[in-house]
Amino acid sequence: MVVLAKSLEDRIDESQKLGLQVIKESEDDRLMTLNVGPQHPGSGHFRFTVKVDGDYIVYADPDPGYVHRGEEKMCEYRNFIQNIPHLERPVIHDSTNITYSYSLAVEELVGIQVPRRGQFIRAIASELNRQVYTLYWLAIYGIFLGHSTMFMWPTGDRELFIDLLEALTGARVTHAFNIPGGVRNDIPNGFKDRCLRQIAYFEKRLKEYEDIFYNNPLLRQRTEGVGILTKEDAIKLGVTGSVLRASGIPYDIRKAEPYDIYNEIDFKVQYMKTGDSFARSYVPFLDMRESCHIMRQLLDKMPESGEVRSKLQPNPKGAPGEAYRRVESGRGALGYYIISDGTPKAYRVKISVGSFRNMLALPYLLVGAKLGDMPSIYWSLNYWPVEADR
Amino acid sequence: MNQSTENRSNSNFQSSSLAKSKTDTQAKNEPESSFEKKLVSEITSKFGDNVKVSYIRPLRMKIIVNQEYIVEIATFIRDSLGFDHAESVAGTDYPKDNKIEVIYHLGSYSRDDLAGHILALATHTSRDDARLPTLMNVFKSVEYHERETFEMLGVYFEGHNRNERFLLPEDWADIPPLRKEFRIKGR
Amino acid sequence: MASTPEEFRFGNFVGSLIWLILIVLIIISLVGLPIIFVILFYVPLPPVNGEILTPYLFLSMMVDPTRTLPIIKFLIHTHLFKLVVFPGFTFAALLAAATIFIERKFLAKMQLRVGPLYVGKVEGILQLAADGLKLISKEIIIPSGSDKPIFWASPVAFVAAAAAVTALIPVAPGWVVANISVGLLAVFAILGFFPLIALLFSWASNSKYPFIGGLRALHQMIAFEIPFFLSALSVVILAGSLNLTDIAKAQHPFWFIFFLPISAFVFFISSLAELERVPFDLPEAESEIVAGWLTETSGMIYGLLQLGTYVKLYALAALFVVLFLGGWAGPQIFPQELIPGYTGEKIYNPVTVNAIFWFTVKTFGVIMLFLLPRGINPRIRIDILLHTGWYKLIVLSFINMFVALALIYGGVLGPGGLLTR
Repeated sequence: MVVLAKSLEDRIDESQKLGLQVIKESEDDRLMTLNVGPQHPGSGHFRFTVKVDGDYIVYADPDPGYVHRGEEKMCEYRNFIQNIPHLERPVIHDSTNITYSYSLAVEELVGIQVPRRGQFIRAIASELNRQVYTLYWLAIYGIFLGHSTMFMWPTGDRELFIDLLEALTGARVTHAFNIPGGVRNDIPNGFKDRCLRQIAYFEKRLKEYEDIFYNNPLLRQRTEGVGILTKEDAIKLGVTGSVLRASGIPYDIRKAEPYDIYNEIDFKVQYMKTGDSFARSYVPFLDMRESCHIMRQLLDKMPESGEVRSKLQPNPKGAPGEAYRRVESGRGALGYYIISDGTPKAYRVKISVGSFRNMLALPYLLVGAKLGDMPSIYWSLNYWPVEADR
Repeated sequence: MNQSTENRSNSNFQSSSLAKSKTDTQAKNEPESSFEKKLVSEITSKFGDNVKVSYIRPLRMKIIVNQEYIVEIATFIRDSLGFDHAESVAGTDYPKDNKIEVIYHLGSYSRDDLAGHILALATHTSRDDARLPTLMNVFKSVEYHERETFEMLGVYFEGHNRNERFLLPEDWADIPPLRKEFRIKGR
Repeated sequence: MASTPEEFRFGNFVGSLIWLILIVLIIISLVGLPIIFVILFYVPLPPVNGEILTPYLFLSMMVDPTRTLPIIKFLIHTHLFKLVVFPGFTFAALLAAATIFIERKFLAKMQLRVGPLYVGKVEGILQLAADGLKLISKEIIIPSGSDKPIFWASPVAFVAAAAAVTALIPVAPGWVVANISVGLLAVFAILGFFPLIALLFSWASNSKYPFIGGLRALHQMIAFEIPFFLSALSVVILAGSLNLTDIAKAQHPFWFIFFLPISAFVFFISSLAELERVPFDLPEAESEIVAGWLTETSGMIYGLLQLGTYVKLYALAALFVVLFLGGWAGPQIFPQELIPGYTGEKIYNPVTVNAIFWFTVKTFGVIMLFLLPRGINPRIRIDILLHTGWYKLIVLSFINMFVALALIYGGVLGPGGLLTR
């Protein structure tokens, strides 16, 4: 906590000497409580209470739950296949990745292998969806900092990736594409060329993003040195994803625990060492660039033909036991802990999402920051309120 | 039901993709999951019978401990083994055995060789008087997870600073929703 | 019995229109014309151009419209016309409306959008009118516990203050509403009202976010008003006058921006801050304090504040033109006679029209420069803003003041200088 007024008693004594009527002021009267969200333009489906002393935030308390759907409870009532469409609701912009680790965990329980071509298509869809999510995130980060062009450009370029995903999966946002055993369908004709063209275009655009946004001196002034999360604190708070990598820990599930095809892909884990708001906003950008690189390799190495899905029995039963599988989503590690009791329905599903873990860092970073830094700290945490609530 | 969880045989996993990725990344001539066994044996040698090993698989380990020793064992895991954060805290309700199992999935950022490993630290408490000591002082990262477990399963974490509502509506006046006797309407 | 709608027939429609026109004509001839004649007979009217307005003259005007020219000429030289129409409020408001439209299209082009497109067929030209109608028709919500008189009065005062600034701006030689000898001082005095209005309004709103926004507006404007004055001071040193017409005339061969580029820069930055435009839109920072001091506005209260903001934008751009870009100066491009061989009463003055043209062109150029940062910059933080205002811009404006003094004492400019004509 920031130290407040030096002494209230002193001031009261002064006014008594002057013969004024004293209204006793408490520490809380000095502070103004601001309710950020859920109607605030800078919050999303989320509320946090901040108390400000002048321009400094002295207290912050997140209050999620406005979009809590009880996904974990719902999973206990549906069988493994029925769960997929509703499980992608928490983060529809990253819907392939949130069903990816679910599929991995169910495959482990059911004991099936994904065909090689299916693994590649999964990874392509996952990378495309990561771009979609990160562009959306970047657009909101832009408008949170008052940069309206950075809102429009990523939103526009995101459309192109959505078109690609639509060609691949048939749906624009909620794909339900990953299923236990592989993917729903094969890639359409000409998809590879279209994808490569889009990647080439997008890499050009990324340079423009960097010029207008990340190299803007006003942005740097505003975000550098703001809300620093040190390496030790990042480990202690257990943050994940870009927030962790911005604090100097090159940790990526795709490298740490390569799932499916990722151990054949050559890529670097992007990280920065400063741990400030700028680094947290720049790491996803670097990830997008690296993701283009990964997608090129995936398209290059993908087998020309083959099965995309291994056959499942109509109502698959999991072997009694449990599985915990993770993937790297747009917001970091996304894990599913599934306990099966041998029936077609899961006994317990726990979704460990990156947003929920990153939320713990929010009050720590906000306290002591200025009110003007609130949006840049909040959104740089790569926090998706709907995902955190599940 | 819970026994079957623990009796999960290792052979099921030979075919899984997890085992495959493991053999690709680690040295191939090494016996399966010997590193994990070594890790777990460090805990069992220190705490003996208080730790029950549930399973050891490539990259995944699960130990079940008694709730009296959980803080001590968690501190040992943090300080000596290098698992420095909790990824999730999952509570599971077992009405047949009249107990609630709380699992801490612990991971490590500081040790590179533990990057893909998850140590599941499980403990049990009675359903009627669900109380557990908090691990907040050992792993700071469990703060919100434990708070969520409190409201979803009604497990009171002793020593936790805020055992209160988190995700549910402010006027929630029903039993904790992840307990098995809570039924979704119409299902 | 349920009423059935009558079948539409075009003939009926035209017929009803003709009936309407007939009725209007009858009412005019039976009521309107007698009233006019009564006024013309019994009310003494001022002589126009040596002639007294008589019914005969009035009737002859209907036959020969050129005879109305003296009256028009008389009218456009009255104070009321200058105040209300040109170069006063209507001119400023029209330019402000054009600015809003151009801003939307210009930003849309920068951001790979289309902007307003459908209203009015041609590139959404009527979008602004539609928005205005919408604002007028919306309910004005007054927050409970607000200070109602101040809440109502502030938007009006805001527009009035903005319009008062435009009254001091000379658009062409002789075309200024108030040609006072301390014009520049008056401009600054009126600009000092804006933070007060913002603070009063935010206080009257009885809400936290507007209050923070109002305080931010106050801080920001105080921090930037001093470099604002100082940068204009070097212009005053060179021109030797506070009268804006004199200042514009003093830049006859060389505009002041060539001698005082740093002052112009400081003036431009300070104007951005005065206008609360990106990157200085802290008082309205959306993601931090909802909409700042405009949070509780609704309906036409919001409309008036927006109108005032854009009129103010025009006023400051025009002030920049007068102080640094030589006012209305520019090459004569309009012909001496609009209709060759016409010998009657002349209302067309080529010099004035030329001046107005160049003034408007320059003003729009500066307005475009004001709009540009919105597309490329994020918002800055209050401490950086205060630091910029107090530490950097004040020092910068002093640099050019010494340049101005050196130019005067070195005999380059000023009375009898090398470059003075």
